[in-house]
Amino acid sequence: MEIVRHDKGACAVLYITGRLDLAGGAMLKEQVKKLLASNNVSIHLNLNSVDFINSSGLGALVSTMKEIRIARGRLTMSNLASYVQEIFDITQLSHIFEIFKTEEEALNSYRAAATV
Amino acid sequence: MADVIERIGELLARLQSPDFYEREEAVRELGTYQQDEAVAGLVIAIEDPDLGIRELAANLLCGMKSGTAAQLLCSFLAHLDIATRNLAAEILVRMGAEAVPALIETLGSDDYDVRKFAVDVLGLIRDERAIEPLSHRLWDDNANVVCSAAEALGEIGSAAAVPHLLAVYDKIDDVRMAAIEALGKIGDPAALEHLHRCLTTDDPMILYAVIDAIGQIGNLESIPHLQKFMNQPKLPIAETAMNAAIRISVRNNGRIGCDLPLDRFTDFLFDGVKKGNVEITDFTLGRLSHWYGSHVIRNLLTVLDCVDETKLGRITEALALVGRSHSELVIEHLQKAGKDSKLRLLDVIKHFVDEPIARQLLPLTDDPEPDVRRQVAYLLGVSGCRDAVSRLRDLTKDGTGHVRAAAYAALGWLANDDELEFIMEGLADKYSDVRESAAGAMIIIGGPKVVQRLTAELYQEDIERQRLAVMALGWIGEREVIEPLLRAVNHPDAGVRKSAITALAKFETIGAVDPLIVALTDENSGVRKAAITALVVLKGAAATNDIRFLLSDPDIWVRYHTISAIAECGNRAAASFLIPLLQDEQDIVKIAAAKALASLGASDALPALSRLSQEKNKDVVEAVDMAVSALGGQS
Repeated sequence: MEIVRHDKGACAVLYITGRLDLAGGAMLKEQVKKLLASNNVSIHLNLNSVDFINSSGLGALVSTMKEIRIARGRLTMSNLASYVQEIFDITQLSHIFEIFKTEEEALNSYRAAATV
Repeated sequence: MADVIERIGELLARLQSPDFYEREEAVRELGTYQQDEAVAGLVIAIEDPDLGIRELAANLLCGMKSGTAAQLLCSFLAHLDIATRNLAAEILVRMGAEAVPALIETLGSDDYDVRKFAVDVLGLIRDERAIEPLSHRLWDDNANVVCSAAEALGEIGSAAAVPHLLAVYDKIDDVRMAAIEALGKIGDPAALEHLHRCLTTDDPMILYAVIDAIGQIGNLESIPHLQKFMNQPKLPIAETAMNAAIRISVRNNGRIGCDLPLDRFTDFLFDGVKKGNVEITDFTLGRLSHWYGSHVIRNLLTVLDCVDETKLGRITEALALVGRSHSELVIEHLQKAGKDSKLRLLDVIKHFVDEPIARQLLPLTDDPEPDVRRQVAYLLGVSGCRDAVSRLRDLTKDGTGHVRAAAYAALGWLANDDELEFIMEGLADKYSDVRESAAGAMIIIGGPKVVQRLTAELYQEDIERQRLAVMALGWIGEREVIEPLLRAVNHPDAGVRKSAITALAKFETIGAVDPLIVALTDENSGVRKAAITALVVLKGAAATNDIRFLLSDPDIWVRYHTISAIAECGNRAAASFLIPLLQDEQDIVKIAAAKALASLGASDALPALSRLSQEKNKDVVEAVDMAVSALGGQS
């Protein structure tokens, strides 16, 4: 799995490519840990190029969300492939993750929150 | 022409008839003529004793837009009957620009009432040609005419009137209020210097009007002038100044350029939000990024039930941002709230729930509302609070299915494989969404213990549990599930076999290929189709040779699926296998073959495709035409 980071406004956008499994999940957790340590607490995951996700990947997403929450930050996701949406629905993670159809919609929500 | 005049004369005479229908008919016909005599007849008809005829005449006159009509109607502004006078005024307003010259002429009437009515009508028409004549009326002998002229100039809203209004303000006391209001309506910054000077007035009514007008003009330069009034002991003046500042802020995209004493106006602002005042609501919500504190949070919580969905979203976002630091207030409000408010607040808390907050939510697992219990279950699950596990276990026994489903999901996010046996019980729930949720929890927990228990589930009696088990194993997706999934390819149930094959495709393991090739001959067509898809995923174009024999499968949809899969492989050499399918007995197969050949760029299929151009089925012909066109042939 590969993670590419682009900072957009106050939000760090992570583009995840490949398999979000045990190894990929560990990589994601590490990357988020670094972001939180450098006080980047607004994190968006663009999952457009995730071509596989399994139990470990889901666990990593849940754990990442908890870490960001503890750091008083915000986690959003976008561009879910249909099978990722399917497993989010089965596990009901779609009820607790902030999921947007597109990255732009997600980033707009950060901008709106900043002007609230 | 003489005939027409004669006819109009007859119609005018009929206007005096005692018969309603005769008069009505006469009015209707008069409306078809353009002659001044006919117009005069219609004007006369607005005095008819019958309301229906008066309204008919009025509508016809409005449609005519005749200068003659306007002149005649202006003479009715002096009518002693109020109803007739008002109707004439109403028609003139509806005539609009056409009536303006006649009305301007009427401004010179000796009767001050007529002058005032003409002024009022011109204000309602809002035609800029009236600015100069109305400005002259600012110096009329009659105070009513003067005030009406100022109001009319305000209605027209042109900056050209500003010098006239400023000039009259200093000369005539009676006009001051109307002039200030007009300056506010016009909204031209040229009036600001004068209005800022007027803020020193001793007259409280004038002061209110000046502050309000400054707000309407909406210039940021005015804020320093307004600030001193915001600190005045007299709250009504202070609130008027605040309201003006709000208008200025709204006009300037929320900018204000300085700090305002917002805390003094907390009640005023949130009252405005509760009453649905759009400007106050926008302004107030716009301050929340840097205006918060317990009093603001308290007020925000009280307006949750008074705003529309858009505003609710903004308030929820604001509370989500600042609510964490005042979570005790949110929780306190939550405990007293009704069902809808509770759900909104839980939605807010979702953004910052942690272990301490989760502990405060535990009593809500007994809330009488299922939707509340369900939402609380989610929040407990996401909180990371292990103390919540026992309550979530209780909720898995809840009488409402979706609460149980949420509780199982939450256990999945929160628990570990110590809870496994307990979560497994959910696989036997009477509702499918609860069973699926329990399986979802097992997917999240994952690990060898879960795989072991799910593998055992594949061979227990309940077919639904077998299917859930294979689905869950597929999603767990770790290497240890490959072996059980490979065995499941030979499972007695076709649904399980199909799910196992679909799951195996994700693993990119060559060890799965042989069982999948065997599955191509499965008795169940759904399994055969799943095996085709899986093999294409695992082997790519090399799968073509494995699956090509299914082009003659007895099942139409297997043939269709095989054609699509071969096209997806992109193996140009496979075109020769597909050309015979253009002669398939099923049209849907012919269409699939045509599309596949086009996507493979198989120009050698053009002769066979051309032979299909006379098919009876339009869909076949359309697909063939598109394929021929894509391959560079002539359709």
